[in-house]
Amino acid sequence: MNNSSPSKFLLKFFRWFCDPNLVEGIEGDLMERFELRAAKIGHRAAQRKFAKDVFQLIRPGIIKSFTGNQKLNLLGMLQHNLLISFRSFLRYKSSFFINLIGLSSGLACAIFIYLWVQDERSTDRFHEKNDQLVQVMLHHEESGTLNTQEDTQGILAAALEEDVPEIITAIQATPSFWFGKMPLTNEENVAIKASGKFVDYRYFELFSFPLIQGDASSVLKAQENIVISESLALSLFGTTDNIIGKTLDWQLLHFNMPVQVSGVFKDVPKNSTEEFDFVLSFEIFRGIVGDGLHWGNYNALTYALVEKNTDLELLNEKLAPFVKNKVEWSNVIPFVRPYADRHLYGKYENGVQSGGRIEYVKLFTIISIFIVLIACINFMNLSTAKASRKTKEVGVKKAIGAGKGTLIFQYLQESLLLTFISALFALGLVALLLPQFNQLTSKAIELSFDAQLLKGLLIIILLTGLVAGSYPAFYLSGFKPAEVLKSRIKTSLGELWVRKGLVVFQFSLSVILIVSVLVISEQINYVQNKNLGYNKVNLVLFASEGKIASDLSGFVDQVNNIPGVIQASCTGHDIIKGGNYTTDLNWEGKNPEVETRFANMGVDYGFIETLGVDIIEGRSFSSELVSDSSKIIFNEKAIEVMGIEDPVGKKVKLWGRDVQIIGIAKDFHFESLHEPVTPLFFLLERGLLRNILVRIEGGQERGALERLEDKYKEFNPELTFDYAFLDQSYAQQYAAEEKVSSLAKYFSGLTIIISCLGLFGLAVFTTETRSKEIGIRKVLGASSLSIIKLVSNDFNKIVGLAIIISLPLSYFLISEWLKGFAYTIELKTWYFIGSGLLALLVAWLTIGLQTFKAAFSNPVQRLRSE
Amino acid sequence: MKETKLGDFEETLLLLVGILDKEAYAFKIAEEFESQTQRAVSIGAVHSTLNRLSEKGFLTSEMGEATAERGGRRKRIYSITAHGERVLKESRDFKLSLWNQYPAFATGKLNFIFE
Repeated sequence: MNNSSPSKFLLKFFRWFCDPNLVEGIEGDLMERFELRAAKIGHRAAQRKFAKDVFQLIRPGIIKSFTGNQKLNLLGMLQHNLLISFRSFLRYKSSFFINLIGLSSGLACAIFIYLWVQDERSTDRFHEKNDQLVQVMLHHEESGTLNTQEDTQGILAAALEEDVPEIITAIQATPSFWFGKMPLTNEENVAIKASGKFVDYRYFELFSFPLIQGDASSVLKAQENIVISESLALSLFGTTDNIIGKTLDWQLLHFNMPVQVSGVFKDVPKNSTEEFDFVLSFEIFRGIVGDGLHWGNYNALTYALVEKNTDLELLNEKLAPFVKNKVEWSNVIPFVRPYADRHLYGKYENGVQSGGRIEYVKLFTIISIFIVLIACINFMNLSTAKASRKTKEVGVKKAIGAGKGTLIFQYLQESLLLTFISALFALGLVALLLPQFNQLTSKAIELSFDAQLLKGLLIIILLTGLVAGSYPAFYLSGFKPAEVLKSRIKTSLGELWVRKGLVVFQFSLSVILIVSVLVISEQINYVQNKNLGYNKVNLVLFASEGKIASDLSGFVDQVNNIPGVIQASCTGHDIIKGGNYTTDLNWEGKNPEVETRFANMGVDYGFIETLGVDIIEGRSFSSELVSDSSKIIFNEKAIEVMGIEDPVGKKVKLWGRDVQIIGIAKDFHFESLHEPVTPLFFLLERGLLRNILVRIEGGQERGALERLEDKYKEFNPELTFDYAFLDQSYAQQYAAEEKVSSLAKYFSGLTIIISCLGLFGLAVFTTETRSKEIGIRKVLGASSLSIIKLVSNDFNKIVGLAIIISLPLSYFLISEWLKGFAYTIELKTWYFIGSGLLALLVAWLTIGLQTFKAAFSNPVQRLRSE
Repeated sequence: MKETKLGDFEETLLLLVGILDKEAYAFKIAEEFESQTQRAVSIGAVHSTLNRLSEKGFLTSEMGEATAERGGRRKRIYSITAHGERVLKESRDFKLSLWNQYPAFATGKLNFIFE
């Protein structure tokens, strides 16, 4: 019987789960039973039965209980800590509110940015075949650099699909913005202008724009089919039912044809970069372009579906010589990128992906982290500064046996609790301000509590709480009980440095943000008001459509006679959004190796004058000279690039025919100021011009516009007169920067407020702790001024240091941002000095009240309070 | 207040505690139960029932002396409280009164029906 003892492991296990009060009695019973069994039925069987007995002991009455007298220590501490936290919130209301305001506004900011980033990242990713969808784009080799463009040859898709095995399907489509809004007229002669595009018949199979009516594979099979959006269907027919087969009259410039509704798709969601109300068959576009579909003409976008798990880099290597293999003279290198990347990764520099909107996404993510960090720092500073209030608590707890871990846990719990309360407030704030935020960012973000948001929220709360609580927790738990109980606590130099360092960090960030906001708004201001080389005020632009398109010159002549109109003309270019370009221009002495891109502005007589561009040499087009159709006018940049001397009168070869240079126009900006002015020529082109430009006399805008509308209605009674002021469209170009600028303003304002809250809290604390000192100084004859100096000196040093650190940093950061523009403001010293002074001023205002209170208080009261 | 109803197994254990008197500890109770009823029982079931009975106030327990056979571990000896005895009696009286109301049994005319 010596060797018959039950399994040690099971016994240990039993002791672990059993209620300590019962363990001895039960264990004895188990042993007795085991011994008896071992004698009766043998060791092995007894062992088995023993195991069974042990497992059958796992029942409510026997395992350790979680409540009652035998509470788990952990749970008890949790309750105790919560109580202590709530008491301290109640006791020290000012620091509680400073922390609450700081953290909740910081968290609100973080939640906003989180929502915004999620929205940005979801853009274009809703297509079912997203993993396999790619866009084919082209790098153009021009003057030694690579210029990347979305536009591809209209015949590229078919060739790719045939020759490249990795590409399952390749389709071509036009973007919708090429055509502006096109009128559609229904059977009752009601016309509605909507934006549309021409797409391959397999478009709806590749992209997930769900069809309410019609079948994705066949809706665009027939050339005269049209697929319209739900809301367009509602405004044209008042219903989406039974409209298949109805006829609409579609119009673009002087083209028009009856088309039949073959399908209805759900309105394109907001998070799609492609926006359109209807689609037509690409075959119609093919008909319009005629013989323009060849390897030298870039007139479509190409999308493709690649095989699953295709290595895009390998595919790109393979694709690089694709066009050159077709036509030797080509200067383009095709490549693919994931379709979903077009929104965030849109920028290419010399053929290499170089950011895009993702930069803003990153920027705002960083800003939100910083804002939350600043709020965390407030918490750290206030709780460590006020450590003296907690010394007794820590001392007593340690003396009766609390370990360091327990105390760390307690303070982390306190900061997590505070963060959680703040997060609730923050959510309220977000819900309240979401409409304004959506307006500011032109988005339709909703606050829906799905798993993803909750997960994000939880991570934000946990991280914030842990970061905020980390330093105080380790600092406070490190007190030596004997010393603190004897009130011999002394702040070491190191601790002081940490606290000051944190404030320096806060203010450095604030100053950097002030500088950034200042420079960004100055730059945007500059861009908006820059002299573009023409006078953009009082210029009205509208499309030539309906019957105007078929009698354009007649219409323009009549507009010219409207009182209040200075001049009217037309062009095929969009002036702001960019337009056609060509590389097929040859001149004497041209280096055949180097391709140069010329913007091609087809214009009518009087356009250059209407736009207000100066001719610095030669003359403009004149309606009195019939031969002007074979004449050309370059801008200065073009002449400089071509290197022609005495250009006026010389001939160049454009699209294979000779044209004579008759004038040189002063450089003007016809693209975004992100780009430098590029070579451009004006060519007299009558007929196919789709934009009408009218200069109106200043001060008569309203009358002239009314008369202009009357004239328009004379030609197109069924259409609405849509026009745009050129300066407004110009401003819209910088909408992204504007949004960034206004968001940055709010965020930096918030940063400063939160930093100041922290500073205020510290100031209150400092004057409180130095109360006696100030009293004694005053009794001994110190003036109020010297007290002010004494109290504010510390803060001046901190803020001063922050300014010194942040100025070079902000200079570096902001110059990087400005590199994105070809034309920028100069970085003047006053931006930096001004920002620094502003930060200092705000800091002074913050601590001012406390300082003055300290300086002018009655010393007797200070000294008497004991 | 704790529930004062007595279950069947509880009643049996309570009676066994009374029978075993000074030897009423869980293991012995389990042994006795097995030998009297020919049914197996786990120590866990016995213990948790004894616990429950103590909580209801029918039993008290105290730790006995250490003995060699249990490796020096002490026994928890249970004994019936006055309250426990009262509940036992009530239970017996209740059942007796039920038996007495059962006419076939009370008059000895109990018939077994075979089908």
